[in-house]
Amino acid sequence: MPTEGQKKLLEELKNSLTRALPEGRITSGDYARTGYHLEVRLSDVGMRRTAMVMKDNRFYLETITAVDFPGSFELIYFYSTWHDDICRVIARIQILKDASPYTVSAIYPGAIWLEREIYDFFGIRFLDHPDLRRILNPDNADYFPLLKTFGKTKLTEEIDDILC
Amino acid sequence: MLNIKTIDDTTINERVYQLNLGPQHPSTHGVLHLLLKLDGEVVVAAEPIVGYSHRGHEKMAENRIWEQFLPNTSRIDYLSGLIYNQGYCMALEKLCGIEVPERAEYIRVITSELNRISSHLLGIMAFVMDIGAFTPFLYGFDDREHVLDLLERVTGSRLTYCYNRFGGVRNDIDQEFCDGTRRFIDRLRGRFKDYHNLITENIIFIKRTREVGIITEETALEFGVTGPSLRGSGVNYDVRKNEPYSVYPEFDFEIPVRKEGDVMARYQVRMAEMEQSMNIIEQALDNLPQGPVRSHVPRFIDPPAGDIYFAFESARGAVGYYIVSDGTRIPYRIKVRTPSFSNLFVLTRILPGNFIADAIATLGSIDVVVPEIDR
Amino acid sequence: MNITQLPFIKEIYGFLGHDLVAAVIGILIILVFVPLNSAFLVWVERKVAGHIQLRPGPMEVGPHGILQTLIDAVKLMSKEMITPKLADKFLFWLAPIVIIIPAIVCFVVIPFSPLMQVREMNVGILLIFSFSSLTVLSILMAGWASNNKYALIGAVRAVAQNVAYEIPLLLSTMSIIIMTNSFKMSEITAAQSPVWFIVYQPVAAIIFFISTTAETNRAPFDLVEAESELVSGFHTEYTGMRFALFFLAEYTNMFIAASMGAVLFFGGWHGPFFPGLIWFVVKVYALIFVIIWVRWTFPRLRFDQLMNFAWKVMIPVALLNLMITAIVLKAL
Repeated sequence: MPTEGQKKLLEELKNSLTRALPEGRITSGDYARTGYHLEVRLSDVGMRRTAMVMKDNRFYLETITAVDFPGSFELIYFYSTWHDDICRVIARIQILKDASPYTVSAIYPGAIWLEREIYDFFGIRFLDHPDLRRILNPDNADYFPLLKTFGKTKLTEEIDDILC
Repeated sequence: MLNIKTIDDTTINERVYQLNLGPQHPSTHGVLHLLLKLDGEVVVAAEPIVGYSHRGHEKMAENRIWEQFLPNTSRIDYLSGLIYNQGYCMALEKLCGIEVPERAEYIRVITSELNRISSHLLGIMAFVMDIGAFTPFLYGFDDREHVLDLLERVTGSRLTYCYNRFGGVRNDIDQEFCDGTRRFIDRLRGRFKDYHNLITENIIFIKRTREVGIITEETALEFGVTGPSLRGSGVNYDVRKNEPYSVYPEFDFEIPVRKEGDVMARYQVRMAEMEQSMNIIEQALDNLPQGPVRSHVPRFIDPPAGDIYFAFESARGAVGYYIVSDGTRIPYRIKVRTPSFSNLFVLTRILPGNFIADAIATLGSIDVVVPEIDR
Repeated sequence: MNITQLPFIKEIYGFLGHDLVAAVIGILIILVFVPLNSAFLVWVERKVAGHIQLRPGPMEVGPHGILQTLIDAVKLMSKEMITPKLADKFLFWLAPIVIIIPAIVCFVVIPFSPLMQVREMNVGILLIFSFSSLTVLSILMAGWASNNKYALIGAVRAVAQNVAYEIPLLLSTMSIIIMTNSFKMSEITAAQSPVWFIVYQPVAAIIFFISTTAETNRAPFDLVEAESELVSGFHTEYTGMRFALFFLAEYTNMFIAASMGAVLFFGGWHGPFFPGLIWFVVKVYALIFVIIWVRWTFPRLRFDQLMNFAWKVMIPVALLNLMITAIVLKAL
């Protein structure tokens, strides 16, 4: 159950996020079930404004990840804070497969590597990124491993047949 | 082949030269590659190059059923594998709503904290070896050997454990394990005196580590540094306290914090953390409840469609599993947030201006596990 | 016909007397002694390190692994000697030779006992200092010729370090020399017949010990080959017997440094009951044991700390000590 301080923090955060992102949908997450308190849903843009609000509130960027859904990518930014009541905010941004979102690395330098990783695995090109190249995969690779079109192994197909 | 690109081509001139520290180098802890630009012995720019041990765990997850990913978890960070193992199980239990018997939770905490001690021992001693003292390294290994023996007794393996199961643990612990653990804790407490004599109070060690490689709170915020590296910078943040999971709220333990933010502070935080881990283990052994160690869980689990982010504290910092399930027996996406990834990148900020010897000390003090970064 | 009856040989023999014979025998003994001694010291080092670190050390070859280093030497001899493609081939070849010869030459003046000294010279100490200074030349040659950045950093460090620590080393030795008025090893030893100089000159002894540790590139001053930073410093690229020569030289230099320490501060071969040779060897090995002990206890200094220590602490203290010695001697 959220404590009093947490509720207050969440309320303030919600207000400042709503001010900065009038077009976004901000909902409270069910922490006990999903592990985050606040969920910001955006379409296409707004990741940099979210990042600025979060940094002003002394949140750190835990990680960024992407999920390859049919038809679109979902970029997910996880923000968390060090201070007393844990409060995790996630920002989901739906982008088209060939879209180029803006980088947040100017706000959080740690995102340079996180975005490189996403580029490496999904082929999402971030605009204004200072150093966008492969990070974990070989530099000369011509594939993006975490795309659903990449490398469905024979084993998987067998599992599919047996279990699903 | 990895193409080595320069950090910034313009900085090479008559004074500045480039040094590839690693991937084969005695102090890069595996296959880390540090690309350094040096002016004499002073680092001008640094860039860690990772990916040499990339195994594609996240892709593997999408190609196997939920249970089959269990052994992978402990291979992501091979030094605190049990903690990763526990975290994955807890994330899925939360997603599926599986109840875990209390005894199993206690056993998980005991084994995870033992694993934390073994990881810290190795981390600290490898760091001390980087500074040039070889003997403490073997003392640490001697102690670590006891932890590994204990864990081998319950889990069956010494490094890449697969002990946790959905809904509990694989098998119960016995009296001999409890006694052995108590004996080990007594022994390690005695050894701490030696460590403090040999390392902490050594004048050369102090000179080498004070005010070297300082991570400020602001830098930590920008780069997402977590774990002992963050607590060495004066931030009281530990997932076990801030976002309690398992039965951690039932134990009385402190989060050691140092203000200085230098190499020494990180070392001291790790030393203090081992003592706290010993406290936790003792309390858990004292209050160990009776009962089953595994609840009844179907052979194959079918999590409901949805997503979950589960954070927990490994020996290196805050780990997170972000799991997306589409309701089938195969994960749709598993993302692992590994602390070393963020902790290592901060080197690009803190190394410039330091000596090459300090760079090695700083790298050692951050205690990265390279396979955890590469995944 | 006796070869010594030949007029030419007779002339040389008459001219040199038994000195030549003594010298030849002495040099032969040294040439046998140096590798054997180094092999033994390597074994001692590994054994001591092992026991300090709660492990037995080498145990397999021979009783308690005493033949381990001989087998290692055989292995090293059978290894290919690789020369890197971009190395300066001549200097690369020359460096191991330049490091081992001065180390052997230094043995000439070491008084193992009142009789066992290959050559008594009135500048014995100067000879040792001047020849052991050549070591740094070899390290620089090796580091430069290897065309490897680690080796070069190691070599540059070696030059700065050896230059810095030679000064306090000489200054601390000077305080002994103005007490004895002699550079002769035998006279310095003889002067300590009742009381060892370490009693009169404790500060000089400490400075001497620290400086020789630094001069021989031993931990905590082993920045030249700092493993965790520079892989193995100046001899990163060396393999096989060339590497073995560097190794040999390191332990030989250690032996010479300990012998100097024994002669200057611990009375050389003086001691009751036993012959001088035994006392000398015991003292030298005791000092070597301390050096090994220090190596396996302390972490490594950083380069700027090392230089600061030499220039800001050691040299002023050594100068002060020398001045006090001079004043006291004058007053007496």
